[in-house]
Amino acid sequence: MKQTSIKKMLALFLIAAVMLAAFTACAEKAPDTAQTQQPASDAAVPADDKAAETSTATPEEPVTINFWHHYSAQSAENETLMNVLIPKFEEENPGYKVNAVSHEWADLHDKILVSASSNTLPDVARLDIAWVPEFQKMNILVPLDQQMGDFNDVAGQLLPSAMSTAVVKGSYYALALNTNTKILFYNADALAEAGIEVPKTMDEMFAAIHALSGTNANGQQVWGLNEPALAGWNVLPYIWSNGGNITDDACTTATGYVNSPETAAAVQKLVDLYANGEFTGFNSGAIPMTDGFGTGRYMMLLEGPWKTAELAGAYPDFNYGTSEVPAGSAGSISVLGGEDIAMFNTANKEGAWKFMKFMTSEYAQEEMAKCGQIPVNMTALDSQTVKDASFAPFLEAITTAKARPTVASWSEIDNALTVAMTDMIVNGADVQQTLDQLAVTIDGLLAE
Amino acid sequence: MHTLKKRELPSNILRYVLLLLGGAVSIMPMIYMISTSLKPNGALYEFPPKFFPALDTITIENYVYIFSQEKFYINFLNSVIVAVLTVVIAAFVSSALAFCLARFRFPGRKALFALVIGTMIIPGTTLIITQYQLASFFKLTNKLLGLVPFYVAWVIPFSTFMIKGYIESIPREFDEAVYMDGGSVFTVFFKVICPLASPAIASVSIFNFLTAWEEFPWALTVLNDTQKRTLPIAISGFFGQHQFTQWGYVFAMSVASLLPVLIIFICCQKYFVSGLQTGGIKG
Amino acid sequence: MELKSKRDRLQVGLLLLPGLLVFALFTIYPIVKLLYMSFLQWDLGSMLHQKFIGLQNYIDVLSDETFRIAFANTLLYTLVTVPGQMILGLLAAVLINAIPRFRVTFRVIYYIPVITSWVIVSLIFRYIFNTEGMLNYVLTNVLHLTVSNIRWLDSRWGGLTVAMMLGIWKGVGWNLVVFLAALQSVPQELYESAGIDGCGAFQKFFYVTLPSIKPTILFALVMLTIGGFNVFTSIKMITGGKPMHQTETVLTWMYYKAFNTGSFGYAAALSFVVAVTLIFLAVLQFRAMKQKDAANS
Repeated sequence: MKQTSIKKMLALFLIAAVMLAAFTACAEKAPDTAQTQQPASDAAVPADDKAAETSTATPEEPVTINFWHHYSAQSAENETLMNVLIPKFEEENPGYKVNAVSHEWADLHDKILVSASSNTLPDVARLDIAWVPEFQKMNILVPLDQQMGDFNDVAGQLLPSAMSTAVVKGSYYALALNTNTKILFYNADALAEAGIEVPKTMDEMFAAIHALSGTNANGQQVWGLNEPALAGWNVLPYIWSNGGNITDDACTTATGYVNSPETAAAVQKLVDLYANGEFTGFNSGAIPMTDGFGTGRYMMLLEGPWKTAELAGAYPDFNYGTSEVPAGSAGSISVLGGEDIAMFNTANKEGAWKFMKFMTSEYAQEEMAKCGQIPVNMTALDSQTVKDASFAPFLEAITTAKARPTVASWSEIDNALTVAMTDMIVNGADVQQTLDQLAVTIDGLLAE
Repeated sequence: MHTLKKRELPSNILRYVLLLLGGAVSIMPMIYMISTSLKPNGALYEFPPKFFPALDTITIENYVYIFSQEKFYINFLNSVIVAVLTVVIAAFVSSALAFCLARFRFPGRKALFALVIGTMIIPGTTLIITQYQLASFFKLTNKLLGLVPFYVAWVIPFSTFMIKGYIESIPREFDEAVYMDGGSVFTVFFKVICPLASPAIASVSIFNFLTAWEEFPWALTVLNDTQKRTLPIAISGFFGQHQFTQWGYVFAMSVASLLPVLIIFICCQKYFVSGLQTGGIKG
Repeated sequence: MELKSKRDRLQVGLLLLPGLLVFALFTIYPIVKLLYMSFLQWDLGSMLHQKFIGLQNYIDVLSDETFRIAFANTLLYTLVTVPGQMILGLLAAVLINAIPRFRVTFRVIYYIPVITSWVIVSLIFRYIFNTEGMLNYVLTNVLHLTVSNIRWLDSRWGGLTVAMMLGIWKGVGWNLVVFLAALQSVPQELYESAGIDGCGAFQKFFYVTLPSIKPTILFALVMLTIGGFNVFTSIKMITGGKPMHQTETVLTWMYYKAFNTGSFGYAAALSFVVAVTLIFLAVLQFRAMKQKDAANS
């Protein structure tokens, strides 16, 4: 008797729990359908909708725009963002607050994925240009040229080559925010001591790497070349400059490109360097790049504009020089990096767009240029700040740099590329065979 | 008696030597961490590497930097809040559950206990995706308090298991006496069981504190804003930006986050053994 | 215990309620939902519209070369670290139990690695085992045991070795405390009567101590096996799965698949493969101990 009543209660409770579960499951589905319809209706009534939004969006409660980025938390860029740009934006746009959140680069990608799976995305994010096609495929980015009336005016002020990184299937899903590329950094004292000229060609560079490798006065190993990873960002300058490639220009096939004789020859050079103990950095146990370069263990590296500030901070007395990526048979071709700024389809679109316009404006771009970000706003590019900036050597390299394939499966292609490169360079796997296999894998990923 | 002592002495010396050796291995990495945190950042890849920095190169610049950051105090406070809330809620919830499971027969009791133990087996990290969706449904993402219910849910199985074992070792006569006097279930639970089971509750609470204090993957996934992060996330944030690790800061912050745990542990360490002694593991 | 009144039954219910609520909502519901997800196609291209694909995710997991490597790594990690921690922990417990002084001091010292967070100890180990780090300096330049620096973190076996050393090092203290508690509850008379029967110290250990603490051994075995399969933070911080995903464990691989490539369905199926394996292992361990029990008595 007594037991039955407890049993009843337990049963009731379990039913309640199941119902709650079912309820949450149903409730989760609701926003999904709403969301898929939203872009269509937005596109249908662009102008009137805007007006309506403005009238409702002059609120007493400020609208918060969540902005995720990967400016390092301790960096000058982050200081400028927090203390100069955001206060200025909030002053110019009363009614809006910006909540900027710094993530580490790899974490930001993962966070956006997990947030997308449950509709908790921020309004605006600063995205690595390599991620834009992937996120577009997930249907979480807003096609700006279809939804923003003044898109052409805004985009027209930005560097066309940088804006091309935001195009997927003929639509613009982001605004270019900043650009960068890699150039050669070398240990100036070591080169002078060995009587070696700054390498202008790939052949000279490999000869210099060979000459500078060995051991130092303490008996420690010194490596001529450092790359902190073996992903596309790291190996493509060597491959491209040698006339090789990953895919054709239209990004439809890899066979005949990633396994071409030119690509194989470039990879073989890296394989030989590693076998001779002249190339390192991508293993987990290696000295981090900045420390290795600053303490004279790594002699040369290809790196981006941020390295200048890092070296000034950690190794202020270190004497180094920079030069463009040494030219191979196909010329000096570096890899184009940089970031775009995009809004997600759950965003407060009006506020998000205002903030994106602000971040790409001449004022914001010039402020960011002061701490090493290469602007894409053409007026800012012509300014005196840019001409005096520490990244001046990079401006030339950008004009010849190439972008990585802009395809949705790039993350996976990059992963396959890294695995194959590691297999060839570290494990000594046969270069041609591995590249042939890689070509098949990449073709499969491109076809998806 | 005399001969016995003579034989004991050499083997005791051997025991101490072995224990000292093991103890040295146990704390060597910690000492290395402390000594590294006292070196200037540029000296971390010096040659030859020194286990202890030379006296004249000892610097507290890493600590000065860490303690000058407002963020550090916020992160620290966040960790304290989350850990304390987790401990308090988990202690109440799991001792109540353990009490009911240990003392009352109700249908489904065995199944419930099996379910509680069974979920201990599923690695918490595997549930991260669906728990995240749940958290976002309850608007708990990017909220410090969003961590707590999940941490409580994680520690309930182990805590319940341990406390239940302990409660079963408390003679039922204590309960009976209270019921005789007209006491209710609540009276028994709050006035008899809770005080008597406090060693076990204290012991699991220390485990729970550690779990919440150091939890990494869930906090990394759920929290976004810098001012909401807990210490482990803040520490890993110093690591590996642009292939550039500020080891000095990393280790100074690690030392600072280790200290409170160490103090709590040393103060409460007697509960560890007494709580486990008569707890569930006795069989 | 028979419940006497309505009031008592209500109060039992009230005591059960918070636990059941938290448990059902934050543990059971996510498990059920995850099971459901593991049958859906849920990846980048189908983030908003998932479709039912039956066992395809499970087939994908089991035929995935990297998953097999990750699974083998996890199994190896468990097979090495669980006995390693238990033997060293038991040894330390026996030693501490026998000494007259400084018991508490040793207990505290051995427990320090346990209370230090995984993030911190992983970073320390990564720093110590760096190819240019302290340990290699001692091995190469001071002790001259090797000619060139050992590249601990650069290979599959090297990286796993470091992770396993970390696992054992961090776990000894927990085992020590658990076993010490068990040792102190072994009745003294058993040792005395064994002494009368002429048993030496080793015989006492194998014939008296071990059988008496068997429940504790089983408890530790099950808890540590679960812990072994949970290895995540150390691998993520020390090798990050490099090189070529050769040092991934089941959980780091699940995390990578879910959050780096967006294959949520795959990750859900992987979770259940791991859970089923663990349940199987736990049952096996209980059975083995029970059989031994039967054989002994």
